[in-house]
Amino acid sequence: MRRIGIWIALGGLLLGTAACGGGSGGRSGGTAAKESLSVGFVAEPANLDFTSTEGAAIPQALLVNVYEGLVKLDQDGRIQPLLAEKWDVSPDRKTYTFTLRKNVTFSSGAPFTADDVVFSLGRVRTDWKLKIKSQFDVIDKVDKKDDTTAVVTLKRPSNGFLYALATRLGAMFSRTGVADLANKPVGTGPYQLGAWKRGDSIRLDANPKYWGTKPAAGTVTLKYFKDATAMNNALLTGGIDVISSVQAPESLQQFADPNRFTTVEGTTNGEVVLSLNNGRPPFDDKKARQAVRYAIDHKALLDTAWAGRGKLIGSMVPPTDPWYEDRTGDYPYDPAKAKELLGGKTYTVKMRIPNLPYAVASAQVVKSQLAQVGITADIEPLEFPARWLDVVFKQGDYDMSIINHVEPRDMGIFADKSYYFRYDNPAFGKLLASADEGSEQQQTDDLKQAAKLLSDDAAADWLFLFPNLIVAKKGVTGLPQNAIAESFDFTGLAKQ
Amino acid sequence: MSGRRLNLGLVTGGALVGVVVAAALVSFVWTPHDPTLVDAAGKLREPGGGYLLGADKFGRDTLSQLMVGARTTLYVGVVAVGIAAVVGTPLGVAAGMAPRSRGWLSELIMRVNDLVFAFPALLLAVMLGAVYGAGTLTAMIAIGVATVPAFARVARAATMQVMVTDYVLAARAAGRRGPAIAVRHVLPNIGSVLIVQASVSFAIAILAEAALSFLGFGTRPPTPSWGRMLQESQELLFSTPRLALWPGLAIALAVLGFNLLGDGLRDHLDPKLRSARG
Repeated sequence: MRRIGIWIALGGLLLGTAACGGGSGGRSGGTAAKESLSVGFVAEPANLDFTSTEGAAIPQALLVNVYEGLVKLDQDGRIQPLLAEKWDVSPDRKTYTFTLRKNVTFSSGAPFTADDVVFSLGRVRTDWKLKIKSQFDVIDKVDKKDDTTAVVTLKRPSNGFLYALATRLGAMFSRTGVADLANKPVGTGPYQLGAWKRGDSIRLDANPKYWGTKPAAGTVTLKYFKDATAMNNALLTGGIDVISSVQAPESLQQFADPNRFTTVEGTTNGEVVLSLNNGRPPFDDKKARQAVRYAIDHKALLDTAWAGRGKLIGSMVPPTDPWYEDRTGDYPYDPAKAKELLGGKTYTVKMRIPNLPYAVASAQVVKSQLAQVGITADIEPLEFPARWLDVVFKQGDYDMSIINHVEPRDMGIFADKSYYFRYDNPAFGKLLASADEGSEQQQTDDLKQAAKLLSDDAAADWLFLFPNLIVAKKGVTGLPQNAIAESFDFTGLAKQ
Repeated sequence: MSGRRLNLGLVTGGALVGVVVAAALVSFVWTPHDPTLVDAAGKLREPGGGYLLGADKFGRDTLSQLMVGARTTLYVGVVAVGIAAVVGTPLGVAAGMAPRSRGWLSELIMRVNDLVFAFPALLLAVMLGAVYGAGTLTAMIAIGVATVPAFARVARAATMQVMVTDYVLAARAAGRRGPAIAVRHVLPNIGSVLIVQASVSFAIAILAEAALSFLGFGTRPPTPSWGRMLQESQELLFSTPRLALWPGLAIALAVLGFNLLGDGLRDHLDPKLRSARG
């Protein structure tokens, strides 16, 4: 089976080069559909329904590719039109009027109209089960003006609304296509679900009814690997074309040959957070949390656990956000200070981590460094996503964990008392609210303060910012430099 | 008896096992360095200067990790084989001693045994790990349970041989009851076979623990384990192959040692070979 796949891929390659000779601009759907690409990922989705299932793997595969929203994020984090051609904002910043693209259909054949906008945005409140759906609490009502005009009225002005609309929350669903979201996604995107071999791969086929430019690759196969080395080997032997995120950074030198491989190194939105359970002892005590932050030598951690790739951050803001400030100096490595804060007490805590390479590697460094100040962390790797999400994320039965929070602009999760951090500081919530409502300048100022407050409170510790490390076969183009949206956008990928 | 020559396998096996046991015992009181201490400055330190075998990407001393890893390995082996022997031997003896009139007992025990035998140890461990959380304990129990049938079979076969000997017949004629015969006559006479089986099972248990740790279902990090050392060295296989070489070598030699020891013991304790040698 795999061999056949490779031959198809080779055939696609030849056809692709032939088409390129004629100029890539005028590529017709017929030849493009022959090209196929396979991309390696870790952490397969549990199902395909991101309206009810947490986890980043589902929007990573489906958003922008299968589902589209009214707007989308570009590489620089700016909002661009997608299913909405344009939008007007009322002077009081509470009414958004979206003019929808015409002649858009879902992959099921149903036309996309303002009714679907009303349906999809309304569904977030009524049917979604995700924690982040609270970002849409600001919506007062969604109305259809005519078939191609939808009007969203907010309860108050919100800077974050359009941004939230670009995430999975804003994905457009067909009124007739939500019966079996877990297995049969129906969207307006350039791809539709071809096949899903559980435990192995998801195949996306080009959507022949797509309204926009047809994607260069007619078929994209997302192959899921449990093991970083297996993924590396798959690229070395030609089983896949792209490693979407390198999971064994020490092994990068295998791909050093520029005649065979291309490497992209950029930044992501992914804050690798050392989560502390603020809701129960010992980390309900601010001093204990601060002690943890002083006890960790972040530079040493990044150098050993992740080969020095990535960036040190001191709070929940990546450098690509406008309100980023360097907060790495807030808690310099100072074991003596940490011991002082602990007041000679020693603790034993449960460190329940997902069984993912970055978490297992980081956890061992954290444990070793915490041991120096009298905190014994018992590492317990839990199967990701199912077990970890259940035990740590849902039940909050943990003292300490390590997870990469990949959602863009996700500082707001700390404002939710029931979120697994169990962080509760009304001042933080107020800052976020005023940032959302105020002018752009005020938003920046308030969010800077909020990030500082999180850091001062030691609501968690931020180990490092996950790097966007992609390795691909030479000739693969359209790889994203930075991964700052929720999805891995396949529409620009091509093989030369 | 005392004049019997020790065979080469027994000596080599004994020596290899001795090294592993010695390393494990010494690790309780002394290791060159703290095996779990992360030291960024010593990342991938070359061998030498107090670090005889170098250090891994966390700056942890390889030799110290190997020594404590030997402890983990032996611990798993002892408990797993212990479980298998304690559960499997009585079952096998009971099955072997069951008189013809109660053949169903023998059948029942051995067929249930076959059922367990059909489950590979690794699969069982992964299953238990998924339900009760991965860890050394679940790994030990799983390996132990999966090894029970091997002991039961060997014990049954040996018991059946003992049951037809004259002294057992005499004991029966004298009115001794089953349990008394089992303790007095059967167990001492099948002991040598069981010791050999234990030695061979130990080798299998070591391999299984290494495999489980390699897969992330065994010993939890950062407790050193040979299998996990191998796993962690994977991404550095091309740049720093020694990190994979040492734990790999340790596993290979320990398994070889226990296998040779088992073979040697069998030759040494086998009554037929004993009489042949005179």
